[in-house]
Amino acid sequence: MLTWEKLGRIFDPATSRTRSWMHAYAQSPSAVVLDDRVRVFFCSRPPPSPDGMYLSYLAYIDLDRRDLRKVVGVCREPLMPLGAQGTFDEFGTNPVSVIQDGEQLRAYYAGWTRCESVPINGAIGVAVSDDGGDTFRRLGPGPVISYSPDEPFMMGSPRIRRVGGRWVLWYVSGKAWLRKAGGKPEPVYKVRMATSDDGLDWRKEGRDLIEDRLGEDECQACPDVLFHRDRFHMFFCYRNSHNYKVREGGYRIGYASSADMRHWTRRDEIAGMHVSTDGWDSEMVNYPHVFTVDGACYMLYQGNGMGRTGLGLARLSAPVDWSLR
Amino acid sequence: MKWVKRGKVFNPSEHVLPLASIGFAQSPQALVLDDRVRVYFSTRERDATGKYLSHAAFVDFDRQMNRILGVNSEPVIALGGLGCFDEHGIFPFHVFDDGDRVLAYTTGWNRKVSVSADAAIGLGISHDRGLTFQRHGAGPVMAAALNEPFLVGDAFVMKAEGSYQMWYIFGQRWVRRDDGDAPDRVYKIAHAVSADGIEWRRDGRTIVADRLNADECQALPTVIRLDGAYHMYFCYREAHGFRSQSAAAYRIGYARSTDLVSWLRDDDNAGIDVADEGWDSQMQCYPHVFECDGQVYMLYNGNEFGRHGFGLAVLDR
Repeated sequence: MLTWEKLGRIFDPATSRTRSWMHAYAQSPSAVVLDDRVRVFFCSRPPPSPDGMYLSYLAYIDLDRRDLRKVVGVCREPLMPLGAQGTFDEFGTNPVSVIQDGEQLRAYYAGWTRCESVPINGAIGVAVSDDGGDTFRRLGPGPVISYSPDEPFMMGSPRIRRVGGRWVLWYVSGKAWLRKAGGKPEPVYKVRMATSDDGLDWRKEGRDLIEDRLGEDECQACPDVLFHRDRFHMFFCYRNSHNYKVREGGYRIGYASSADMRHWTRRDEIAGMHVSTDGWDSEMVNYPHVFTVDGACYMLYQGNGMGRTGLGLARLSAPVDWSLR
Repeated sequence: MKWVKRGKVFNPSEHVLPLASIGFAQSPQALVLDDRVRVYFSTRERDATGKYLSHAAFVDFDRQMNRILGVNSEPVIALGGLGCFDEHGIFPFHVFDDGDRVLAYTTGWNRKVSVSADAAIGLGISHDRGLTFQRHGAGPVMAAALNEPFLVGDAFVMKAEGSYQMWYIFGQRWVRRDDGDAPDRVYKIAHAVSADGIEWRRDGRTIVADRLNADECQALPTVIRLDGAYHMYFCYREAHGFRSQSAAAYRIGYARSTDLVSWLRDDDNAGIDVADEGWDSQMQCYPHVFECDGQVYMLYNGNEFGRHGFGLAVLDR
């Protein structure tokens, strides 16, 4: 099992000075390592409308590279406006995954649209930044990962990587909407992947990658992959499809490994990241992002309420046997 | 080109149609069988909220298109499940005879909140000569893409140049005529190519020049190869006022190509236009051109988008 030393919550959006749009939630952290800082992109929300519906915008905080617990900067404005009327990302850009691509940064994000029979639908879009992540612009008004015969709705949780010169995207696809007496329908989604030569034209693998642990209605999200010691390591989160906003049913962090990045062996007992007995991450730990900087390996993650009260950081304790076979 | 009208040939109120049909026989599309011509169309019911649901149905004609042999009373494909792209209707329903199977390219509709609806193209496959179709997956084969943000629909498929060729439409933008008006959509005709009829390659390029203005809406392309050239019929209209004003309503347009890449728009030679009076005097829309026993036919809808049925014209060659 991996051992993580929790370094605590590093950012709470309630401390933001621009609460008109960064009111609550710091979701889906994604780190880009810069010379003196680590820029952590995430998604944040203004207060909900009277009918309880949210928007979500792209944001960042900067962490001091010498001490990642120190926030040295917070963006003032959303990094990109929402999409135009009728487009896939008109009502939100969340989650997000950002990668360095030469002089540019490239962001893959899930767009939110609102529907009549179900609350929302999602598809995955792409945007680039020429100013180090201060602002992003879409490469087109539509999505690059959309619906297809066996991925009918709710495309989300993109995690972008470069592997051997190719673009690889791990993401999730909806499997079913479950009708819930007296409430909104709830989606079930599973981890998938796609590969591409240019990051725009994608070939879907067309297969669920991670076996269920909680039964066929298990929801899986945020498949975050790193390559180390000749193996691919995936951290993700999973939960029940109902009653998931409390400790018993809430998100937990799972783990799987693969030699070829396509076929995965799930071994959640290795993940080593657990809920705390009390505090901001006592009900759920979710949306993990694992990265290395200056010889250390870190996990950024969100806690209770799907990241409502912010982001935390943990450091992998040495020594680590990454073979994990 | 010159078309001789045979008048309205199908009136939905004279037949028993699937489910609780309240009329409409929209976008007629032909499948030529050994002993008959099967014409698929979309008819409508109202759901519990009073909104429309479109369903695919068919009527069989004899091969001379003179006589109705029968009307099916069951939908040929069910609507999609909760949250699916075709949950709230299938319209149009385009069939392509692929030898031992019949492929149906459906335009599936789902209702939205900030705009009325979105659409994508699904695939159904029939192994009983078009009586019933099984959907190829719960999702679509052609949905929104980087440069085609919404409203992907109106597929027409043929085999040419060794590939499956598809003409279809995609939405470009939603526009309001005045503040406070509901938004109207703008869509254009485009082209995709496939080796198997399932996975399509496209480039987000519009292929038919606008005639009215940049907000012209182009719909339902249908293509036929005659005398060494490809001939496309489609319908087009203004973005606003098209339901109530005949001048803004659908007309039939025409374009020609020899290479399937560049199309020359030439509406003046379409050879068909609205009548002075009667069932197709206010608009003409949803053309479908097909060949049977040496004759070239055009099925199409008239006033009110086909609420009262569809008509037929024959090419005068």
